[in-house]
Amino acid sequence: MTRTTELLRRDDGVVEVPGDPAVEERIAVREFQGSDAIELLGCAFGAFCLTWLVYERLTPLSGGLGFFVSWYALFLAAVWFVVRDRLGPLEARDRLARVVVASVALGLLIPLGLIVGYTFARGFHALRPQFFVQDQSRVGPLSPATEGGGSAGIVGSLEMVGLATLMSVPLGILTAVFLNEIGGRLARPVRMIVDAMSAIPSIVAGLFIYAAFILALHQRQTGFAAALSLAVLMLPTVTRTAEVVLRLVPGGLREASLALGGTEWSTVRRVVLPTARTGLLTAVILGVARVIGETAPLILTALGNTSLNANPLKGNQDALPLMIYRLIRFPQTASIERAWTGALVLLGIVLVLFIVARLLGGRGPGHIGRIKRYRLARKGLA
Amino acid sequence: MYRSVARGGGALTLGLMGLIGLFLTVRSWKALHAAGLGFFTRSAWQPSFGQFGVWSALLGTVIIAVIALVIAVPVAICTALFVTEYAPPRLRRPLTSFVDVLAAVPSLIYGLWGRFFLQPRAIYLSRFLGTHFGFIPFFHTKEAGSVASYPASTFIAGIVVALMIVPICTAVMREVFSQAPPGEKEGALALGGTKLGVIRSVVLPFGKGGIIGGSMLGLGRALGETIAVTLIISPVFDPHSLTHVLQTGGNSIASLIALRFSESNEFGISALMAAGLTLFVLTLIVNAIASAVVARSRSGAATEI
Amino acid sequence: MTSSETIDLVEDRALDPVGLGSGLTARQVSAWFGEHKVLDRVTLAMPPNQVTALIGPSGCGKSTFLRILNRMHELVPGATLSGTVAINDIDIYRSGLLVTDVRRRIGMVFQKPNPFPAMSVAENVLSGLKLSRHRSRRHDPADLVERCLRRAGLWNEVKQRLGTPGGALSGGQQQRLCIARALAVQPEILLMDEPCSALDPTSTRRIEETIAELREQVTIVIVTHNMQQAQRVSQYCAFFLAEENAPGRIVEQGPTDKIFSAPDDPRTFDYVSGQFG
Repeated sequence: MTRTTELLRRDDGVVEVPGDPAVEERIAVREFQGSDAIELLGCAFGAFCLTWLVYERLTPLSGGLGFFVSWYALFLAAVWFVVRDRLGPLEARDRLARVVVASVALGLLIPLGLIVGYTFARGFHALRPQFFVQDQSRVGPLSPATEGGGSAGIVGSLEMVGLATLMSVPLGILTAVFLNEIGGRLARPVRMIVDAMSAIPSIVAGLFIYAAFILALHQRQTGFAAALSLAVLMLPTVTRTAEVVLRLVPGGLREASLALGGTEWSTVRRVVLPTARTGLLTAVILGVARVIGETAPLILTALGNTSLNANPLKGNQDALPLMIYRLIRFPQTASIERAWTGALVLLGIVLVLFIVARLLGGRGPGHIGRIKRYRLARKGLA
Repeated sequence: MYRSVARGGGALTLGLMGLIGLFLTVRSWKALHAAGLGFFTRSAWQPSFGQFGVWSALLGTVIIAVIALVIAVPVAICTALFVTEYAPPRLRRPLTSFVDVLAAVPSLIYGLWGRFFLQPRAIYLSRFLGTHFGFIPFFHTKEAGSVASYPASTFIAGIVVALMIVPICTAVMREVFSQAPPGEKEGALALGGTKLGVIRSVVLPFGKGGIIGGSMLGLGRALGETIAVTLIISPVFDPHSLTHVLQTGGNSIASLIALRFSESNEFGISALMAAGLTLFVLTLIVNAIASAVVARSRSGAATEI
Repeated sequence: MTSSETIDLVEDRALDPVGLGSGLTARQVSAWFGEHKVLDRVTLAMPPNQVTALIGPSGCGKSTFLRILNRMHELVPGATLSGTVAINDIDIYRSGLLVTDVRRRIGMVFQKPNPFPAMSVAENVLSGLKLSRHRSRRHDPADLVERCLRRAGLWNEVKQRLGTPGGALSGGQQQRLCIARALAVQPEILLMDEPCSALDPTSTRRIEETIAELREQVTIVIVTHNMQQAQRVSQYCAFFLAEENAPGRIVEQGPTDKIFSAPDDPRTFDYVSGQFG
């Protein structure tokens, strides 16, 4: 009892704060401090020196791969011993895990950088405006890479993906509306099947269209057949993304619309779908990005064509991935270079689509974009 | 009216899946009938001589997928943990987007990159493993010294497919890890646990279902991958040489279909349909298991895959 | 180094020593979430082997203050603080001191029971040892499990089912399991953040009894909304209050009897007599 009052009194004595009491110095608490970073760098450097010594001076070992592996192993060992010495084994294990997880995760940056960088380096050389307007009907085996272009493939790809979008998006959104707004006994199997569908190998989708459309209905291999197979692949992506987006629409909005006397259909059409508009657009774009690079089903359904065929209903049609796949297997350097240019264009399209989807997806449902706001303003609504 | 239209949409999606199975079965009937059960045990692919079976292709498919999984799952777990636990909150969104970009890159480009960039470099890794770890049966090689025997191998195809499935596995695992209950995490920290301790006692046990489910999903994708594998392996139909995974020669059902389709007659196509049906059923089984595992786990109830 | 110092200190402690709780002293503690200040220069001594209750209306910063005492506050992104918190005159925010050591010496029981659901009852009790480094070398694990569960007043209820998952117990049992888990790492101080708010009256009484018994060995700081509970279990009391648009601060502190019978500040009187809050 006396002891505690003493403590309190002593505390009360400390209460006077020197200087301005309004200025309080905040304590910097960081999980990962500057000294830790220096420690890591030190370990990395030390391990590097040791590896270099072993490789270059002491033993006849050689090879970049072995050097890197030894360096990384030594680095981890150094981190372990240094941290254990300073903070104990528990912290050492924690630090080691942190270093391994971070280096593996950041190591993933390397392949992406390499894929984009290498495609750019190989494809940039033959990329020129004519690539987008010429086809390859007049390209001989010995023509240089700067002759001919991918117009047949680009036009074909756009038409096939466009048709596939027209087929799969309404069905996908309808299915998502069904799963989300109606539900019932059928919802569970449908959701399960949509899940299973997203796992269908693309080549199987091609085989299916070949069996069900080309063989069964006695059709030829055309751009339309290819679009059908792409639609099969696109459907689950669109459905799943759209379902997630529709689920984000607040239930209160639906109830408000129903309470105002709206029917279920008008609620969906006038409230739910418009609110989720940007999200649905994201779903469509992700679906497009999923199928625009698909090659396998096109090998079976579109066959490819060296000259431009803008009619998807008649005759074989080319597609960008199909063109790349065809050209890459020729031995001529010029042909391979053309394929890489095609790959660069394809990668560019995918990345642009992806970035657009991300930018749209970053906004919540009900966000009013600049254009829409302008339109509303003209109507005098906002 | 609106209800029946929407329900019709759902039913159409349902029916589509049935149609796929139905048409593949109908078209492959002729070949399956001719080959009988031997279709699953024979290795050669010569439908015009009546000698064909899916065994070596099936084996190759599974080996490639397993290699891909062995590489991809640890990487995916680390990436998912980094994004949810270690990375500063500012970096989380960019990192997630970045992993999703990896998922959006077409498989064709992975294949090209694997063939032209990775392969000339990875053969040294193959030789390194072959010469120094050849005593492990999995890495067994013939004439280990020469670099020339290492390109176009199952191993390299596996690496490329691994890169392709990492984002898919990561996405599922990240989703599950991020739902690990904060109360339990704080409890572990309050007991004096380190971050590693929290991960081991809370995050990983909670996310077990997600790890298994994500891996199975990646497995399904790896089994069905066509173009990237076709661009890298050179097909062999000898099941024994398939076990030298580091060296030239490999096979997969999907690339068998892609390579043989244009040169096949009607009966040959029927045989390819049978191979496609096998692949279809295989991926469906794997995917069904994945969904079941995720749905049953503690974390699965609220998780999307 | 300081860290090894604290490790040795814990190493030398016997399992059930009497009177080894440490005093905890907070001086001039302020806290922010981003730029929003939630605590303003709080000074409080929590004497050893006593129960100190933090009372006050919701949102007055008592829980934040409690979380500052074992360095849980910094887990919230954007949370900062100033001032000092000392356990036996060692500043727990001193650089070079391991945060894991601090948290091991200052245990915490949360508002919502949070046992590890997949681990068995016994594993839950031992989880702290596993997390905070070595398995117990000196003591038989089974023995330790029994002692901790006894001290938490749970042993008789669960001794037949030590292997069942922690998640299968009732809410009150889970909370006592969390207390047993916290005791297993032999903390000098135990912080309790409204430990009974999610429990029924019977479980609450069991936990209050447990607190009274534990006082012999550890220092306890408890946040509670329940005035009767504060009166029943605590020897010291600190009344927190946040005026409108101002950060929380201590209005009055002192022996519980005095706070409840003859408070100096009229606001304290209003609160403890149920006039507001």
